Order: sequence, then structure tokens, then C-alpha cells
Amino acid sequence: MKIGMLTWEYPPRIVGGIARHCHGLANALAVLGNEVHIFTLDFPGSPAYEETPDGVKIHRIASELGHPNFLTWVLLFNHFIEKRIADVSQKIEFDVLHVHDWLTAPASIAFKHSVGKPMVLTIHSTEHGRSGIHNPDSSTIDGLEWWAAYEASKVIATSDSMKSEVCDHFRLPWEKVGIIPNAIDSGKYHGSVDRGAVRARYGVQSHEKLVLSVGRLVPQKGIEYLIQAVPNVAWRHPETKFAIVGEGWYRDHLQYLAGTTGQAWRINFTGFIPDHELIALTMSADVLVMSSIYEPFGIVALEGMAAGVPVVASQVGGLAEIIEHDKTGILVHPRNPDSISWGINNVLSNRDHARWLAENAKEKIQKTYSWEAIAKKTVKLYKEVVR
Amino acid sequence: MNSSSGGLPGHPALPEEFRLLCMLHNIGATTMEKSMSIEEIVRWTELNTEMLRNHLQKLGELGYVKSVETSGIEKYHVTPVGITKVMTLYS
Repeated sequence: MKIGMLTWEYPPRIVGGIARHCHGLANALAVLGNEVHIFTLDFPGSPAYEETPDGVKIHRIASELGHPNFLTWVLLFNHFIEKRIADVSQKIEFDVLHVHDWLTAPASIAFKHSVGKPMVLTIHSTEHGRSGIHNPDSSTIDGLEWWAAYEASKVIATSDSMKSEVCDHFRLPWEKVGIIPNAIDSGKYHGSVDRGAVRARYGVQSHEKLVLSVGRLVPQKGIEYLIQAVPNVAWRHPETKFAIVGEGWYRDHLQYLAGTTGQAWRINFTGFIPDHELIALTMSADVLVMSSIYEPFGIVALEGMAAGVPVVASQVGGLAEIIEHDKTGILVHPRNPDSISWGINNVLSNRDHARWLAENAKEKIQKTYSWEAIAKKTVKLYKEVVR
Repeated sequence: MNSSSGGLPGHPALPEEFRLLCMLHNIGATTMEKSMSIEEIVRWTELNTEMLRNHLQKLGELGYVKSVETSGIEKYHVTPVGITKVMTLYS
């Protein structure tokens, strides 16, 4: 099949899970013999066009017009994406367009109508779920999400909870939405790392425990509740340090909050770290915590499970589907520092049980969440819409 | 992806310098070739010049903005790290 995939983030332009998802899916689709074209935004230092060793063709598009307002900027760059797709489609007859979230939906919808090809939409999260509809811009984003879902021949959600959310919120027919989960390349976690050296880079000594949190520093990740759990964990396990990896507009507030616990010296806000370093750090942690209050899927949990690290996660959204409580991880109550500290202390206090949880989790990842399996499901869904 | 970049109900407002960083990104000052002078940025953002200089200095110290001198005029653009920061601000 010839697939045109649209996404506003694609490596090296990475913020959250969408770039990694599109990268993993595109490579796996190409390996299966499909011709995959990525249409995405440019990034300094990256070529306007490149073809990867797996055969994925990446078109990076510069927006030649700008505007200080976010939504206006988005609509402007969509015009430039439309133009590039139109150029490419002079030579390539696409079978299907696959758009990820609303940011590149206007270009995808326009193209769908101009060439009469089906469009598939993956909704990774909704504006309603992320922040609620609270101002004119968020109302417009909510409208764009609905419009894209309406125009799509089929919508993909990454979890049962996400399917329920999009069907309820956008009033979509249940049969229009398929569930295809996220995946990871678990092979990245098969190597060995010098745990002592990695931990030392983050100020964690050999006798100390490392609690890791990875994610964008935004309210929906619930990191404030993890920070509030720190004193309880420190009381039971005084040798514990915390590494909070990621960036976001909420960072200043979270750092302020860390200061109010009297335990700020234990908490290291690392900012973004490169992928290879994140893999090494994850493999070197004693526990990975996801204290999210909204999590449509939760790919970081998969990464922790693949790395053989016990995962403590809020019982919300996709996390509650990925993790089987007390079998492949520990589920805790969202927005509840006492519950989060209970989960962390449980793992740190029972090393044999924690190891057993991690082994079960690793087995589950290898069986269920490979990119090859997810790409095959996606192709099956494409075939349903291509007639 | 959220439009509000902070300022959600019940949450702290986004610092002004980060609002400027987003605006610089959205108007396209994202490479050295597309760097903009203070005058140009004022025209786009309608910010007070003195405030703008303070914000740019802070963003420069954080590594999110870089300045280059072209024909004796100081011009500014968002760095790759700054672009990533903007994307997280919109998340």
C-alpha cells in the first residue's frame, strides 16, 4: 500500500509520544513492504527530504508564514503541508492518508477531498481530556478534533478508555473506532548498562534507591502528586533519590512545590535527555512512577516494563489496561500522594516481589506490544477503508 | 495538544518570557537566517521594547534564544532546544 502519514512531530522533532509512535509505526509498515511517506514540520539541521534505511520517505515542510497566535500558526503551516502533499501526489497515488491528532488534520482533510482517498485518524488524546474546554482556542481545537473524526473513514484509539472517551465526546458510532495500542522497540532495552555510572550522573550513589518519573511537565501527568509523596517515601526509605525527566510549562511550579516539601535536594529535574541516555537511566532505576491523572495510553509504562523496572502507575486510562495490579506492576489511586507513596514503598521494601512483577511485565511486553504486530493490525484497518 | 500554554483554570500562568518564546517560534524566527531584530519583534508582538529586551536576555541565558549580529544589528532566533521547549509549552 502507499500510505501518506501526517504528524506535526517526527524525530528529531520530539516532544511526547506521537513522534515515537509515528516513527515506530512508519518503520514497521515499511518493513512489511508498504511505501510510507511522512509529512511533518521542519526542524533545524534536518533535511527537507530523506529516506531512512527502512525505506520511509520523510518530507519536512517549512512554514513560510507565521503569526504569534498558536492557532493561526497551525492553520498557516497546514497550507504548506497541503502544498507539499499535492506536489508529491503528482507522482505517487496514495491509497490511504493517516493523520495523527488534530494539528495536521486540516491538510489531511483538504487532501482527502481533493483526491478522494480515505483518511484514517489516530486520536492520541483529546483537548477535552487534556485540559477541558476552557477558552476560545481550546473550543476551536475541540472542534477541529471533532471535524477530523467526522471526516475520517475510521478512527484509531490506543486503548479501550480512549475509545470510550472519543465515542462519548464526539458522538461517534462505536464501530467507527478501532483500538490499536501503542508499541515499543523492546530490543532497545536488551543491552547492558553500567548502572553505577549512569546513576552517578544523576547524583545517585550505589547504596541509594532511584525513583524515576518520565513525561511532559504538564498538569495531566500528575507529577505534583508524586512530589507530595516524596516525604512519605523518604521517611520509609531515607536513601531514596528522585529523577524527574521531561520539560513543560508546569516546570517552575513543580520545582517550587518540590521546595515546599523540604526534600528538594532529593529531587533532580533533569529536563529533556537524549533517547540513549533515557534508555540507560530507565534500565538503572529501581522503580518507574507514572502518577498521571489523564493518560490515554501511557507508552512510558511500556518502556519501563521492557527495561525490567517495576512500574507504579495511576489507575487511569490506558495505564489501567496495560498494567495488571500486583502482577505486572502496581496500580495506585490518581491524585493521591498517600497511595503513590504506598506503591513506591511497596516496591522498594519487597525486592523479590518487585523483581517478579518486572519479569511478568517484560514477558507481557514481548508478547503484546511489538511494532510488527501493531503495523499488521494497522494495515488490516487500512484495508477496511480502501475499497 | 493544548492551546493555552499554561493559564489553565486552577493552574499558574505561563511566565511572560515563555509567551514571548512561543510567539517568536510562531512568527518563524527559528533559524539564524530568519533571525529578527528588536524592532521587527516589537512589530509582531506589540511588546514594550524594554520588557522585550529583558525577556530575550533571560531566554538567551536559558539557551532557548540565540542572538546574531548582522550588519551591526542584533537579531534573535529560537534555538532547537527552544523549539522543543515551545512544543512542550503547547502540550
